[in-house]
Amino acid sequence: MQARQAPVSSLVVNPTLRIAPFHFPEPKVTIKVCMGLGGVAAGGGEVLKRFQQAVAERRLRATVGRKCEVEQVGCMGFCAKDVVVEVSMGGVTTAYQYVEPEMVARIVDEHIVGSVPVKEWQAGPDCTAFHAKQNKVVLGACGAIDPEDINSYREIGGYQALWRTLGIMSPVALIEEIKRSGLRGRGGAGFPTGMKWEICRRSPGERKYVICNADEGDPGAFMDRAIIEGDPHAVIEGMILGAYAIGATQGLVYIRAEYPLAVQRLRHALAQARQHGFLGKRIMDYGMDFDIQVKLGAGAFVCGEETALIASLEDEIGEPRPKPPFPVNKGLWGMPTVINNVETWATVPKIVRRGASWFTSIGTEKSKGTKIFSLVGKIRNTGLVEVPMGMPLREIIYDIGGGIPGNKKFKAVQTGGPSGGCIPAEHIDVPVDYENLTAVGSIMGSGGMVVMDEDTCMVDVAKYFVSFCMDESCGQCTPCREGTREMVRLLDDITAGRGSEEHLATLNELCLVVRDLSLCGLGKTSPNPVLSTLRYFRDEYDAHIHDKRCPAGVCKALISYSIDPAKCNGCTLCARNCPQKSIGGEKRKVHSIEQAGCIKCGICYDNCKFGAVRKA
Amino acid sequence: MATITLNGKLQEVPNTLMVLDAARQAGIEIPTLCHHEALGPYGACRLCVVEAEGPALRRCLTTACTLPVADQLWVETGSPAVQQARKMVLELLLGRSPGSRPLLALAERYGVVGSRFGSGRDGDTCVRCGLCVRACRDKIGTAAISFAGRGQERQVSTEFGELSEVCIGCGACAAICPTQTIRLMDREQERVVLRQELVVARCRLLRCRSCGASFATGKLRDQVASHLQEQLNESRAALCPKCRRAASVQLNLPVWEPGPQVVR
Repeated sequence: MQARQAPVSSLVVNPTLRIAPFHFPEPKVTIKVCMGLGGVAAGGGEVLKRFQQAVAERRLRATVGRKCEVEQVGCMGFCAKDVVVEVSMGGVTTAYQYVEPEMVARIVDEHIVGSVPVKEWQAGPDCTAFHAKQNKVVLGACGAIDPEDINSYREIGGYQALWRTLGIMSPVALIEEIKRSGLRGRGGAGFPTGMKWEICRRSPGERKYVICNADEGDPGAFMDRAIIEGDPHAVIEGMILGAYAIGATQGLVYIRAEYPLAVQRLRHALAQARQHGFLGKRIMDYGMDFDIQVKLGAGAFVCGEETALIASLEDEIGEPRPKPPFPVNKGLWGMPTVINNVETWATVPKIVRRGASWFTSIGTEKSKGTKIFSLVGKIRNTGLVEVPMGMPLREIIYDIGGGIPGNKKFKAVQTGGPSGGCIPAEHIDVPVDYENLTAVGSIMGSGGMVVMDEDTCMVDVAKYFVSFCMDESCGQCTPCREGTREMVRLLDDITAGRGSEEHLATLNELCLVVRDLSLCGLGKTSPNPVLSTLRYFRDEYDAHIHDKRCPAGVCKALISYSIDPAKCNGCTLCARNCPQKSIGGEKRKVHSIEQAGCIKCGICYDNCKFGAVRKA
Repeated sequence: MATITLNGKLQEVPNTLMVLDAARQAGIEIPTLCHHEALGPYGACRLCVVEAEGPALRRCLTTACTLPVADQLWVETGSPAVQQARKMVLELLLGRSPGSRPLLALAERYGVVGSRFGSGRDGDTCVRCGLCVRACRDKIGTAAISFAGRGQERQVSTEFGELSEVCIGCGACAAICPTQTIRLMDREQERVVLRQELVVARCRLLRCRSCGASFATGKLRDQVASHLQEQLNESRAALCPKCRRAASVQLNLPVWEPGPQVVR
């Protein structure tokens, strides 16, 4: 692609001074509406419109005598409470949760005009707790700035890292700074970013590329999407710095087509960056040409693997290629290429702006900085959290996540997506960093964190994740293509009550070969869920195999429903809802389930108001 | 040159080689299904598993066909771990293609008796080695066949499973297929390229003007002509190789005519 000649904004014309523009925000009222995908899905668009209307109708700019702005912002993190709205007034910020369009008028009248916040709709102490222990280094701007306005990003110091670097700091010095910061890749493997850049810089090639891997595919992971939706310029700035460091002239963002909002905001941000002279020919009047192109992926999990991603960018089938050669030596079109994850790119400008020593002050000895996790599953506070490396898992789950809903017992947490492992309750105090997670049999991965409670069957969980890997296997190499299918088949047998000791032996043997011998990282890690559950929850496998019993009551073939005569009062609710008409009994008389017809859907169990339906 | 330790012996080998080539040059047998000297490293079948350790490689199982030779590399081609992994790979391959003779021969050679696995699709003899796909794309330059589908659904196919228009019927795919899954059928007027039940292409066959035997497809002759960048001698191009040789002898022409440089 030919880099386009970009008009240089009036702010950037004096090449001798090279002083970044400063902006002093005036006191004002701001209303920030969460317009991340979670917020949009909960109706944020309508809420935003109502706020804009209400402010306009009441002529607040004139009557209140101060500037009142309604802004859309990216993901604020607390997706479980969407739509979240933050009102800042006189230095005090009030957050509202579960905001619906009908609530808008009252908030504007009472809070903004009357200066009395609407108490009953305010976010409670769980919201304070959710945010208290977080350290939002990367997510800080998400949920604070308007992702569709470059000036909003520049007000909080955006693009200042570029001002401090281009033509002032040598590329080698920049790489040294990143190396000193100890930043490691946030996409999963945790390779030191500075070292990757250095190898690529030294690698000979007529052209070099930087690529942003935004092909986020782990089930339950959405941090990359949130960053691009909420703070796209941070990623762009990071990529420009990376390009400067290695000498690249072109950048590409490989992003899934399933993220339409992120794609739209990214394209918008790129256009603005070009207009302001941060991309294109001679960026910021410094003699460097660089532009970024967006490429859409079609949603194949394997395309998140760097060599498969490159194949896909070259219009080949998205299949991994053998390494070596590594992309830093022979990447896109055979040229040296740096591929980093969205979160990594978004971290880079912060390190440059605030210095490597600031970054190393956060985190543990070998894992520096912060990491974003998407906290999902059986947890009260679903959402995005950013914590310093080394925070114990317990603090993330109980202090930030608010614990398990319904007074259930915590059982395990799956980190790192389908390639990760399940960490049991006994290891809940493990400090979360690359080394410690690996030591307990899981991985950091891209930062998915799926919490499971006592109602989760671990064999079933392993089957779910391996099935995912089977469906997403590209099919190129034998162990992954044939092996994942056989793992699913063996787990299927076990959950259906057909398992034997031999099943377990074969499963174990198979897992080791798939782990050791698959072609790419995805195949190699696909047995992790099985290996980690076998390690920590062997008793559950044994219960399925020997006692033909599913302790969590999940595996349908191994459970049966019955009605407790002492508790049933014959309300007929179960009989009326049974899709199989397999529950019999007269009104006000004890009912019973005909086992032959029961399909174990559990509707009776969920519906009974008297706890009379038993699951065993 | 690089010095590697191959099954306990020090070997001096050119460092442009892969471990598989080095081992085969040293007379060590390593089974493969997806490797061919004429095509680049691919690493799909994983049968050529070896145990290796090097200065930049911690001890692991890896494939010999994708592992470049490097100084101080230590390679073991028949350790217990290698044998066990290889047996498992063979079992997995047999699970999909229980009837494939070359696979059964390999299984016998490496002590695999039966397979604990099965895809439930008996009769599928394709091992997804990709040799046909790569030969067609990288060597013939046609790309008439490719892999379609992902994971379990992966199979060699033409575009949309329809009759290929670009296939020249050269037969490279059939010649390179290790399990005879791709076959050529020469009928009266045409050559049919088959991948099991899928008809890949039908190409018109040329008949020898002299003996009447069919010998190549018209599209193949055209491709050869375009590679030579000159018009083929019409009267000689209409003869089958055997008759052409006979005609050359009669006319006292050199049997092998050194043509212009073949442009690729």
